[in-house]
Amino acid sequence: MFTSFGMYTLKRVSVLVLIASIGSLLLVACGDNTAAPTSSASTTAAGGGTTAAGGGTTAIASTEGGLKINKNVSGKVELWHFWSSPVRRNAIRRVVAICQQELPNVKITETFKPFSDIYTANTAAVAAGSGMPDVIVEDRPKLPQAAANNIETNLQTLATRDGIDGSAFWPFTWQQTLYKGATYGIPFSTDVRMLYYSKNAFKEAGLDPEKPPKTWSEVEQYAAKLDKKNGDGSFARLGFSPLLAGNWDLWATLNGAEYVTKDGKPVANDPKVIEALNWIKKWTDGFGGYTAFDKFRGSFSSPPNDAFMSGKVAMFTDINGYASQLNFYRPQVSKADGSGKENLDWGVADLPYNDNTKPANSSGGFALSIPRGSKNTDAAWEFIKCATAQKAITSWARDTYEIPANMEAAKDPTLAADPNWSKMVTALGTTRVMPFASLYANYGEQIDKRTRDVYDGKKDAKAAMDEAQQAIDAEIAKKK
Amino acid sequence: MARAIERSTGRRQFWRPATREALTGWLFALPWILGFVLFTVGPMLFSAYASFTNYSITGDTAWVGTDNYTNLFKDERFFQSLGNTFWIVLVKIPIVTIASIGIALLLNMDLPGVKLYRTIFYLPQVLAGVAAIFLWKWILAPDGLFNNFLGFFGVPESARPGWFVDPNWTKPGIVVMGMWWIGGNILIYLAGLKGVPTSLYEAAEIDGANSVQKTWNITLPMLSPTIFFQVVTGIIGAFQIFSTAFIITGKDSATGGPDGSLLFYVLYLYNRAFGRTGQATLQMGYASAMAWVLFGIIMLVTVAQLWLAKRWVHYETEGK
Repeated sequence: MFTSFGMYTLKRVSVLVLIASIGSLLLVACGDNTAAPTSSASTTAAGGGTTAAGGGTTAIASTEGGLKINKNVSGKVELWHFWSSPVRRNAIRRVVAICQQELPNVKITETFKPFSDIYTANTAAVAAGSGMPDVIVEDRPKLPQAAANNIETNLQTLATRDGIDGSAFWPFTWQQTLYKGATYGIPFSTDVRMLYYSKNAFKEAGLDPEKPPKTWSEVEQYAAKLDKKNGDGSFARLGFSPLLAGNWDLWATLNGAEYVTKDGKPVANDPKVIEALNWIKKWTDGFGGYTAFDKFRGSFSSPPNDAFMSGKVAMFTDINGYASQLNFYRPQVSKADGSGKENLDWGVADLPYNDNTKPANSSGGFALSIPRGSKNTDAAWEFIKCATAQKAITSWARDTYEIPANMEAAKDPTLAADPNWSKMVTALGTTRVMPFASLYANYGEQIDKRTRDVYDGKKDAKAAMDEAQQAIDAEIAKKK
Repeated sequence: MARAIERSTGRRQFWRPATREALTGWLFALPWILGFVLFTVGPMLFSAYASFTNYSITGDTAWVGTDNYTNLFKDERFFQSLGNTFWIVLVKIPIVTIASIGIALLLNMDLPGVKLYRTIFYLPQVLAGVAAIFLWKWILAPDGLFNNFLGFFGVPESARPGWFVDPNWTKPGIVVMGMWWIGGNILIYLAGLKGVPTSLYEAAEIDGANSVQKTWNITLPMLSPTIFFQVVTGIIGAFQIFSTAFIITGKDSATGGPDGSLLFYVLYLYNRAFGRTGQATLQMGYASAMAWVLFGIIMLVTVAQLWLAKRWVHYETEGK
């Protein structure tokens, strides 16, 4: 028997239950505004006051490297990207400003969305049929999945019409935009991973600052000399760690592993993946265990408070664009004798490769796509053509040190004047890109969740990867 | 007489007064009812339908029967996320309840400056959730404010908790962080305490009861309906934990942070819905099934609590 208050509470509670569960259902419906980690901002690019050259209504095109941009197209273009750092935000604004001049009748705006939810927001908008941007910066390796999920627009007809066949771009960047033979995005920029090292630390440890390590065994010897410990046994400076800006996949790639087959099937238990995991484990063991290392890693954040700029790590791996962050922040590190600070004198080298393999690299990067349902496809397409063409992408590359996907632009004399640039472009020539894992795009989760046990020594790398492979096969079998 | 007045104003009552009153009531409630039906009942019915399909929001939809539900019970991560969520419910709710009642009892005392303290305890409530979560992410960083504070008391670096990086410390981190928001609970308990008639205390004092006896025999029983309400709503909220874990895990939110230790139910649901886990197709049908299973769990837990409530919740209206 319920009392009146009890009845009231019961009703109230059931309503609450209802609301509560609806809350969880609604989460599904509006993932775009749920807990955006940072606020998004929108700005309009400056410029655009100039009128199209020539007269009349004939299509006036500006020609750039054979690519024709239709200046007469009009409308609005909203671009979504995830670049909030001062360096990159300014760089994308400059790209927008350049294209705004090329397209005087189009109003171009750029909006920052945090990387953690830009794609869910886009997916939700495409599903709802409104609110999607006109152009989105796609994570190129994941573009085929977005195409398979029917989120981005097939651009093949437009590309064919305008004579864009991909030959202007690094071949692998173009390949990554294809789904069932049609392109779903135009390559924007690409990257390689480089080894950044502190010449200050090298000098202090008695190493030649002009001779960075080349192989895995060399990097081990160097790191041993560069390690510096505090009285309590903690690291004042760590020589190197393969897990600071990279994961198992980077080192497996460098080790020559083929962890995705041409048919799109992931192979977790490739012996070279297992070898790479064991190599990483050597480093976490040397640190004093994975948990201790994880705490050390957790104490760093984004530049200039990262591991390298803070002087806590002597050799660091990051994308080539990290050079622009180093130039921007000009970090200082403690002098060897402890008498104040000095400028961090940094060098760039190829990533160390396993002694029995050859130099290799791993590349990611971006493409510009048009979400399905955008009302401004024509204007968006002209903007994409402009932003990926030489003038705009060179501006982007000069600001960010990312390599233009457009091969001609990567030869820009201003960029080439920097000796580091040619190292980066050369490294791009050694890059190994895995095919898109069409059978199980998120296969990495099966490996990721087992690496901790390997590094912790709870499980043998081979056993863990065999287990991952079984899980991957089971998942693929489910797809029928 | 009434007739005469009606005639004199020249208006006839079309409906009886009671009906008219009811209609007016419904009319006033109509905007809410419409909103409820369109934006709540509608989507709920749709999600119930979607849970029996392979609905992917952007692709073709086919009926799959109860596949989504049977697959759930074969899904390792479903159980992992359920386990993580139950951990939070079982650990966080008792701690929050005891702490907020304790603080409310202290704040209910007639002491100088107590109003200032009430304000201070409520203040965190004002800071928007997401911003505060970021703040806590920094406070509980391995070399953040909290750990440095521990170092101040001589706790060596190796013994300081690896909040949000060590899988054993991630959920305790969420609980510690959750204490930041207990101001709202304290406020409701305070209101409950204010509602306890002073005559009961006076009578107890005449009988010679001390303050512990008064708290145990008067305050807590009188507060039990408030406690019950807070526990029920608190548990429902804990089952739906999402934004905290989503923000704390950041780029690892698809796998639920270190060792999947922060993969909570709704986070997993979200990851499925948006193809962040599994084969990368948008599994909105599967996610809908998960939402209904959660609905069932919350319903069961709540009904169980209502049944248990008869044993410990004291209502003044009892026996009416």
